[in-house]
Amino acid sequence: MKQFTFESKQKTLFMAMMGIGLLCLVLSYIFEPAAIAEAGVHQRFWSNFLLNASYFTGMAFMIAFVIAAFTLAYSGWFIVFKRLWEPFALFLVPGLVLMLVLAIGNYAHLHHLYHWAADGVTDINSEHYDAVLAGKSLFLNKGWYLFGTLVLGGIWAFCAVKFRQTSIAEDNDGAHPEKNFPYQAQLRKWSAVLLPIAAFTGPVMIWQWIMSVDAHWYSTLYAWYCMAGWWLAACSLSIILLIYLKGKGYFEQVTIEHLHDLAKYMFAFSIFWTYCWFSQYMLIWFANVGEETIYFRERLDHYSALFYGNLVINFVLPFLILMRNTTKRRNGTLIFASLIVFLGHWMDFFYLIKPGTLITAKEIAEGGGHHGAEGAHHAAAHASTFVEGFTIPGLIDIGVMIGFLGFFLYFVFQQLTKASLIPENDPYLQESLHHEVQVYE
Amino acid sequence: MAAKYKDVLFGLYNDETILMKAIKTAKAKHLDIMDVYTPFPVHGLDPLLGLEESRLHIVGFIFGLLGTLTALCGISFIFGGSLLFEGDWPTIFGGKPYWSLPAFIPITFELTVLFCGIGMTVVFYLICGMGFGVDNPVLHDRITDDKFCIAFQTNDMDDSGVDELKGFFNETGAEEVHTKQI
Repeated sequence: MKQFTFESKQKTLFMAMMGIGLLCLVLSYIFEPAAIAEAGVHQRFWSNFLLNASYFTGMAFMIAFVIAAFTLAYSGWFIVFKRLWEPFALFLVPGLVLMLVLAIGNYAHLHHLYHWAADGVTDINSEHYDAVLAGKSLFLNKGWYLFGTLVLGGIWAFCAVKFRQTSIAEDNDGAHPEKNFPYQAQLRKWSAVLLPIAAFTGPVMIWQWIMSVDAHWYSTLYAWYCMAGWWLAACSLSIILLIYLKGKGYFEQVTIEHLHDLAKYMFAFSIFWTYCWFSQYMLIWFANVGEETIYFRERLDHYSALFYGNLVINFVLPFLILMRNTTKRRNGTLIFASLIVFLGHWMDFFYLIKPGTLITAKEIAEGGGHHGAEGAHHAAAHASTFVEGFTIPGLIDIGVMIGFLGFFLYFVFQQLTKASLIPENDPYLQESLHHEVQVYE
Repeated sequence: MAAKYKDVLFGLYNDETILMKAIKTAKAKHLDIMDVYTPFPVHGLDPLLGLEESRLHIVGFIFGLLGTLTALCGISFIFGGSLLFEGDWPTIFGGKPYWSLPAFIPITFELTVLFCGIGMTVVFYLICGMGFGVDNPVLHDRITDDKFCIAFQTNDMDDSGVDELKGFFNETGAEEVHTKQI
């Protein structure tokens, strides 16, 4: 079947998922954990919003990035499921709208996720003056956040839309080899535009969106770490969706060979992710510089389940499960491993975002405002208790994730109906159809 | 194979697609191919010849494990602080314990890769019968350049068998047919 139909059953399911998500968002807005309820900043709601909005937007960003990289490398094997990745990349459009809510929220004081966005931290006469944040204010400021989300993110989304448009135009027109060349040239042009821009601006937006919840701390490896995580999430979701859609009778030409290669990406990037994780940890651990070590001290002391669980779920399990060829070529084990990786990296981002936002909320709750440069250290000493929805994911947090996932899938399925599932006129289609991984059975 | 030397009859092909077709024909005729030589790896050749998966990666795993153990034992022997070793020269770096695993991971990783790489190379040379001072017979120089070769052993064959092979080469489009004793 070349034409995808969005069944009403699926629509109902995704609507129900979005309903659960909305309900959980409302619940997290009302029921703030007691430890930070005084602050009145609805930190659980906003940190969940940031976590899920950035997770799914990041997946869209990485898929756009990978499409650009594959196109420029004259890669042909993925063409047969390119029509699944184009909607993934297109999710940048609604995803960036969600991130824009946060960018505008910085101005309107809707949320207090970022310490650097608080009033007075850069004003030397204010009691909230923070020398470290004032020093970083050239980059960590509301204007940059808005500019990055709107303009840099806009460039990514623009290129993703161009990929889609060119690909569909080729479908409608380029039936002959001499005709589809201009479309390929267009695709390569937009890929060449996106690839360097995304490589530099992706990390910048990761620093702004995610790393700056721990505004005093920084790590240069952080962006690679996040990008690897996003790519793994997108890769695992692609595998699950492809197997599901194949079961429904679509994407018949996507064979176990394509899934095998996707699984190889999942395996390899799980190791790359661990490499980044370990390098970041070991350098900070060994250098033992107080302002850097506090980040891991906080996490080891109060988030030890997430800290060690993260390594088991995102490294040990995928590594052992996906090591053999046989497990990479069976639907059952593939779905199992993909689910682990998808949920594991969601949990990883949970672990990246929640501790920092909790500290910020605690500072507000304790001081009625932000402390000085020592604020983070001071608050860390008081963060010794279990806080629901921060220390480990609660049911509400998982519900919010289900809601965003429903929205993402609804968007992707809606886009799938708008074009043929197989890009008939793509010159690399034949290469993709005959893609084969030589395996000794 | 009792004879000391192998009498080899081989044909050279210009293209890997012709080669693949020729191998399929040979299979259909139940000809006993000694070996096939190509200047580069040809996709799908191994399953066609019925070759099994190489067991070299098992060797790699064993040598890698050996490297990991060597690194951990060596480091433990020097710095001590572990269950096994007392420590030959315990040193404090940056206020860390004598035996601190995260700091040892990079060295352990490097030694694992080193042992794995060298071990696999040496074993590969051994099982291929290559190495210093070994005379390696080469059927034809252009096999390493642009020719694809199918070789048959003709030691115990009578003339009619050899003629059949020559006919096969003729029929499948071999550019050149040679005999050589190796």
